[in-house]
Amino acid sequence: MSSTAEIERRIGNEYEAGFVTDIESDTIAPGLNEDVIRFISAKKNEPEWMTEWRLKAFHEWQKMEKPEWANLKIEEIDFQSISYYSAPKSMKDRPQSLDEVDPELLRTYDKLGIPLHEQMQLAGVAVDAVFDSVSVITTFREKLAEAGVIFMPISDALQEYPELVKKYIGSVVPQRDNYFAALNSAVFSDGSFVYIPKGVRCPMELSTYFRINELNTGQFERTLIVAEEGSHVSYLEGCTAPMRDENQLHAAVVELIAFDNAEIKYSTVQNWYPGDENGKGGIYNFVTKRAIAHTNAKVSWTQVETGSAITWKYPSVVLKGDNSIGEFYSVALTNKMQQADTGTKMIHLGKNTKSTIIAKGISAGRSQSTYRGLVRMNPGATGARNFTECDSLLIGDKCGAHTFPYIESKNPSAIIEHEATTSTVSEDQLFLCRQRGIDTEKAVSMIVNGFCKEVFKELPMEFAVEAGRLLEVSLEGAVG
Amino acid sequence: MAEQFHAQQLAMAKAATALPFLTELKEQGLEAFSQASMPTRKTEAWRFTPLFKFVGNEYVQAQNNELNEELAAVANIEDLNAARLVFVNGVLNTELSDALALEQVTLFSQANAEQQTLIKNNLGSVLAQAHGTSHLFNDLNNASTTEGVLIHVAKNQQLTQPIQVSYLTTDNKVAFSVNTRILMIVETGAQATLVEQYASDSTAQVSFTNAMTEIRVDDNAQIQHYRLVTIQEEAQHIGGTHVELNRDSQYNAFHLSLGSKLSRNDLVVNHNVGGSHSEISGVYVPQHDDLVDFHTCIEHRAAHCTGNEVFRGIINDKARAVFNGRIHIHPDAQKTHSELSNKNLLLTNSAEIYTKPELEIYADDVKCAHGATVSQLDEQASFYLQSRGISKQEANVILSFGFINELLQALPHKAITHLLRPVLARRFGRDTDELSSHLLDKDLL
Amino acid sequence: MLNIKNLEASIEGNKILKGLNLDIKPGEVHAIMGPNGAGKSTLGNVLAGREEYEVLGGSATLSGKNILDLDPEERAREGLFLAFQYPVEIPGVSNLEFLKASVDAVRAHQGKPELTSVEFLKLAREKCKAVDLDQNFLKRGVNEGFSGGEKKRNELLQMMLLEPQLCILDETDSGLDIDALQVVANGVNNMRSPDRSFIIVTHYQRLLDYIVPDFVHVLANGRIVKTGGKELALELEEKGYSWLEEADNGVA
Repeated sequence: MSSTAEIERRIGNEYEAGFVTDIESDTIAPGLNEDVIRFISAKKNEPEWMTEWRLKAFHEWQKMEKPEWANLKIEEIDFQSISYYSAPKSMKDRPQSLDEVDPELLRTYDKLGIPLHEQMQLAGVAVDAVFDSVSVITTFREKLAEAGVIFMPISDALQEYPELVKKYIGSVVPQRDNYFAALNSAVFSDGSFVYIPKGVRCPMELSTYFRINELNTGQFERTLIVAEEGSHVSYLEGCTAPMRDENQLHAAVVELIAFDNAEIKYSTVQNWYPGDENGKGGIYNFVTKRAIAHTNAKVSWTQVETGSAITWKYPSVVLKGDNSIGEFYSVALTNKMQQADTGTKMIHLGKNTKSTIIAKGISAGRSQSTYRGLVRMNPGATGARNFTECDSLLIGDKCGAHTFPYIESKNPSAIIEHEATTSTVSEDQLFLCRQRGIDTEKAVSMIVNGFCKEVFKELPMEFAVEAGRLLEVSLEGAVG
Repeated sequence: MAEQFHAQQLAMAKAATALPFLTELKEQGLEAFSQASMPTRKTEAWRFTPLFKFVGNEYVQAQNNELNEELAAVANIEDLNAARLVFVNGVLNTELSDALALEQVTLFSQANAEQQTLIKNNLGSVLAQAHGTSHLFNDLNNASTTEGVLIHVAKNQQLTQPIQVSYLTTDNKVAFSVNTRILMIVETGAQATLVEQYASDSTAQVSFTNAMTEIRVDDNAQIQHYRLVTIQEEAQHIGGTHVELNRDSQYNAFHLSLGSKLSRNDLVVNHNVGGSHSEISGVYVPQHDDLVDFHTCIEHRAAHCTGNEVFRGIINDKARAVFNGRIHIHPDAQKTHSELSNKNLLLTNSAEIYTKPELEIYADDVKCAHGATVSQLDEQASFYLQSRGISKQEANVILSFGFINELLQALPHKAITHLLRPVLARRFGRDTDELSSHLLDKDLL
Repeated sequence: MLNIKNLEASIEGNKILKGLNLDIKPGEVHAIMGPNGAGKSTLGNVLAGREEYEVLGGSATLSGKNILDLDPEERAREGLFLAFQYPVEIPGVSNLEFLKASVDAVRAHQGKPELTSVEFLKLAREKCKAVDLDQNFLKRGVNEGFSGGEKKRNELLQMMLLEPQLCILDETDSGLDIDALQVVANGVNNMRSPDRSFIIVTHYQRLLDYIVPDFVHVLANGRIVKTGGKELALELEEKGYSWLEEADNGVA
């Protein structure tokens, strides 16, 4: 009774990160053709081979069909109505220090709580903040440079280290890999480039904060991380976008290469605008993330996804080298009208390769959450092992939770174990909490956080706290 | 290429004359099948089950319908004491078929007016409930049905004698296809057992059987169903079982496919009304270059239903197994408990398994779980047996058998357990008696 | 403190409480006994606000405030505590986290300052000792994998931390061995104070050897059919309930 009123009040809550920064942008007219791609490439002063690479991707994309297999209902996307380039004007003269940065931008970051000032230094986090496609500022570059680590916008890397970029870009996710990867390859705006030299342990957590700002601009970042033999890096990615009525498109590509004995940990917290309770607005998030793990290398994907109207994302690990390890820890929460079709692929090629998949899906409101995963043991994957656990928690009776694991084995010595459960937050549990004075919302949030514990413990400390808070905010109004 | 097969089948279906009361179903089937295109690698439900094995054969109606000794032995399930209908290459063998004496059993062609109405009203209606899971071979079956078996168990009848329907194939010189159809209606409070057998003799043959069984289980009724596909390796089989469950009804089933060049088996169980329960187990054991494909789908459309499904597979040589087990909980199916387990053993480096247990859930107050494993024989267990003087080969046979024995032992009809035990043991023992002798020693059972 | 008048309640259409009256003054301990199915557990559940139960009539006030219109958590914050007969497990949620959330909510409502984590931890450990529960239980999931006795002691622990004004113990003694029973009794006795009252629902007279009640009520057919002092419990132990039920039916 009164709890219903409380919930309705909470449903009215505005999306916390929903504000628009008023900065003049350098945006091109909507539409996609060769000229647009040449424009983007020229704008970034890219080498000729890069322009050609983009055009090749564009031609592949034109021949491809949009994938239909995912368990998603998507309105037709008009790719000609999207603007493919937008950069804050003040970027023309790149700021050399924080003082030179547009104060409006800094205020935006403050509102988002990005620790760009001293807090950041204390936290040991270097932030490469991507604001509507172009990296604005990169801090701690010098400190990283001392260790030999390269961490910069990929557009800068194309200027400063073109050979490195050329060598690795597209080597994990080729241009024609899939429809959205091809689109990204053609029009990618910016993203991060990370290179960790042989034997180096990156001295700090690397972090990027993505934010989609300009109306009608798709964001197409491209991230490339190369960890040379025996090196180690942990990379954090946080995403948020302002509230808009229109659906905004996001198609990113992330490529990771972990050479022998290297380790890459890639963590994502994604809270892009999910749209309103009627499904209006929100980000369309189509992401291709893939890693190659060489001998004895280890790659971990950890993700907490609470945002986006539509999420289509399967961070994968190709376990190429013997004894390599792939991990996937995921919490995907959907509420309102959100749809998520997400999971992972573990492709075992090498001997004694190991993969672990822990996927937790939480569905509330009228949302649909799907786990889709592939575990493949190729003939060479002797002694390989996989363990998969995917659990779904349903909150309310209008949502759905689905599990589609594809399990394929061509090697008898490989062992695959898959377990999945679906359960609900029970009335008895809620009543016990309420009898102890804890209101329903708080009780649900506690239960949900408990459900996700296994994944949260994989996140870097400060992200784990943020992730928990994010779930709380995202679940507001979910229980009736 | 596949179009050629499609065209052949369409022509054959067109040429066959339907019984007068089934013309409507035939027309619908023809219409749907003629418009459907053959599955390709991109068709999700056939991704790992290519149909190219059909290609190059000219399928015709079978001419040879003679029973031989080998077939007679195959159709004889010791101690089952079943009432039987035996078909050879699609044609009824009157000698072995005593089930027509039962009031509950008749052929479509021999149905009286009342039975004709019953068939007309029900045939195709259970199949039609499979929305996302039906495929063109079902349409083909509708289009090709010229004969069929009606099993009608009236209200509160407790039919203790099992009804056995055996579809046997034998040598026919040229490639041929057989279309089979069973309609079973178990009315309120009734109980019955159906043993469906698809088998063949060892003669050279290129056969394609398209089988369809529809079972309607009314309120509080129960059925025990065995579906045993033990065809020889050259035979091809595409078969569907579609079950409709009403209030408090029960479907208990055991599905077996040994494996052959192509053995695709669809099982769709529709929990349409509350309180119904399904208990399903299954085994597949392909070898050589066999392909076994099981697609099961448990549709929970009503509240308070329960389902439990266990399938185990052992894949040998270069064989391939595909298992797709779907649990689909519709929005109104609150308080559903449904579970699925699929375990697989790969015995060789060339064997392949593609398993996909799916949960699709649109109701919140449910408890569902599925699990799938793929592994090889436990080497420690094998070593343990060897350390007791048992040869490695025999140890592997014993362990393989152990992997599925639990399911065999749990069958309520011991005659079926006894029938299958040697079939499976010999298969694991590669048809040598010495490797399976201990498993088959009746004194030790 | 608690005043119940003509309370009628049903579950799934079955009327369980049929005009129950009960008046409890501050500092009093009331034991409620009765045969199975008499409505003993229903009383606790209705007072705590369990939504499956429908209140058909009557009133219940706690310190003058009508509690029947309040949400369960509001009743809890007003100082009503129910020790459950079958405490539910909440996997994944640590006991400590749960207890802190609960204590924070109740203290905030009562205008008391929030305890810091350090203060709270100290307090929780103290109370753990008081109910003879190993401190490891604080880190485990709420009731997850606890034995029956451990669950009951966990309930008592929560009662101690929340310091309610009205404690309802719903068959807290059922299934306990004598040592555990004494722990529960000691806990309750230590909490007795002039401004705190208890309703002890029990099936067995045994508990009342350790917790001496001011009143013993017999609940049968949804009503209090007899009230007496602690000696009534002994009489019930000896004679059972049938003589009272018959007497009640005769009256009705």
